[in-house]
Amino acid sequence: MAAVDWVRAQARKESLALLAPGILVLVIAFLFPVGTILITSVLERTEDGAFELTASHFGKFFVDDYYLKVAWRTLRLALVITLATVIFGVPLAYIMRRAHPALRFAILLTVILPLMTSVVIRTFGWLVVLGNGGLLASLVAPFGVTGRSAVLMHTETGIVIAMTQVLLPFMVLTVLGVLQGIGRDLEEAGRTMGAGFWQVLRVVVLPLAVPGIVSGSLIVFALSISSFITPSLVGGVRLPVMAGSIYQSIGGSFDWPFAAAQSTLLLAATLLLIIPYARLARTP
Amino acid sequence: MTGLAPPASARLLATALLIFTALVMLVPLGVVIASSFSESQFLVFPPRGFSFRWYGEILGSQAYLSAAWTSLRVAVIVTALSVLVGTPVAIALAKSSTPGRAALSGLFLSPLVLPTLIFGIGLLMAMSIWLGGPSIWGLVVGHLVICVPYVIRTVSAVLSRADPQLEEAARTMGANVWRRYIHVVLPQCRTGMAAGAFFAFNISFDDAVIALFVRAPGVETLPIRIYGQLEFSPDPSVAAVSTLMILVSAVLVLLVDRAIGLDRMA
Repeated sequence: MAAVDWVRAQARKESLALLAPGILVLVIAFLFPVGTILITSVLERTEDGAFELTASHFGKFFVDDYYLKVAWRTLRLALVITLATVIFGVPLAYIMRRAHPALRFAILLTVILPLMTSVVIRTFGWLVVLGNGGLLASLVAPFGVTGRSAVLMHTETGIVIAMTQVLLPFMVLTVLGVLQGIGRDLEEAGRTMGAGFWQVLRVVVLPLAVPGIVSGSLIVFALSISSFITPSLVGGVRLPVMAGSIYQSIGGSFDWPFAAAQSTLLLAATLLLIIPYARLARTP
Repeated sequence: MTGLAPPASARLLATALLIFTALVMLVPLGVVIASSFSESQFLVFPPRGFSFRWYGEILGSQAYLSAAWTSLRVAVIVTALSVLVGTPVAIALAKSSTPGRAALSGLFLSPLVLPTLIFGIGLLMAMSIWLGGPSIWGLVVGHLVICVPYVIRTVSAVLSRADPQLEEAARTMGANVWRRYIHVVLPQCRTGMAAGAFFAFNISFDDAVIALFVRAPGVETLPIRIYGQLEFSPDPSVAAVSTLMILVSAVLVLLVDRAIGLDRMA
């Protein structure tokens, strides 16, 4: 018995040694910075140089119409973007699941290559497509659509289009992961028993894909509310989102406690979405 | 089985969706590549003429070269550290003797789903308050936290298919800890480590968000240089740099596919 205990204790020590560097990185690079944000968001320096607890940084956010508008724009855009990725991503994942391996690989590459390119470059591409004298403007010009209506830069529509491309891969890959777990025989059973193609999709495939669609939506929504590069380049300064407003507080007005308070709100919103996502992801 | 084939309407819709998606996903990259060969001073589409002058321009530009050097240095350090840190974690998470595996794996993978922006801001604040200001090491640490989860995922993926009995056999046959790891465990992880390294390099090399916040004086990475140009007056030289970076990403995607197969990304 003692020997078994010894082996078990050794194995435990070995696991701990393997995990130690990872835990160190998490503490230094993750818990420590996030902790600093949380502390900064609730502290205020008094006149004699001491620090005291305050909710004023959060208060500033909720009383100012400007920041409430920014928050509302961020949520509204995230909602539309999530919806768009569901509409395009779910059928795409289903097609991939049924496609011939060569076609499937081609689609996978089409989805993953943009995912692996820097978000700065993808957004740059959209600037060339949507901007003044861009691809879209020159495509619609022959149809008499010219001037401002042909340029989607600095519009919310432009942000939605660019962000949908940036985030679509997350939806496709999440839903595909779930669809791969559904046996083809279920669909075939439905078809042989006389159900039509669309009926099987609606009654068999779609309900089974719901966990994938929900977790895909949660992750797209979470990434969307915190994204910075694409909305700030496509939307410009006139259409700020939360992330842009935080950046402005840090580099523009140097109000770090306020930046910390906004970051805390963003983090809290993300956690609200991520916790159900983690639950869903764990249940196979 | 022909009776079970999808109806023509479904096939038509699927084809339309595929063409549309391919356009939306690839056109933004395509226009960047096309613009990089433009002859004119300005970024217009379709580009005018054909020349390599912008490539000559960036290769002679001190600003771009030093940004590329910074990006490369950071990415190489981050890649090495990510593999060194992530592989042991994945090995531990694969062991049945590790307590609380589900919770630990959630904790270690959480940087994948939390906003990168938050790490950037947090590191900036933490370093300014406690360390006297951001430095290139802040960038390394920030990239490390978003890259390690990829290594954990890819190594875990190959270990889930590996045979745990092999390690047990080595143990009972008297191999000590070092021999067990060098001859049995690490060779099992090899392809996962390679795929994780390609991911880590790509993510560090491409990141603009952490780099934008943890910006130390004199430390400018390529994506930050591109971002700065886009905010003001982009000319086709930005397109040339971007094209080279797309090429790097494309090579890394193919290398990941070679190592563990892109299919395992889903």
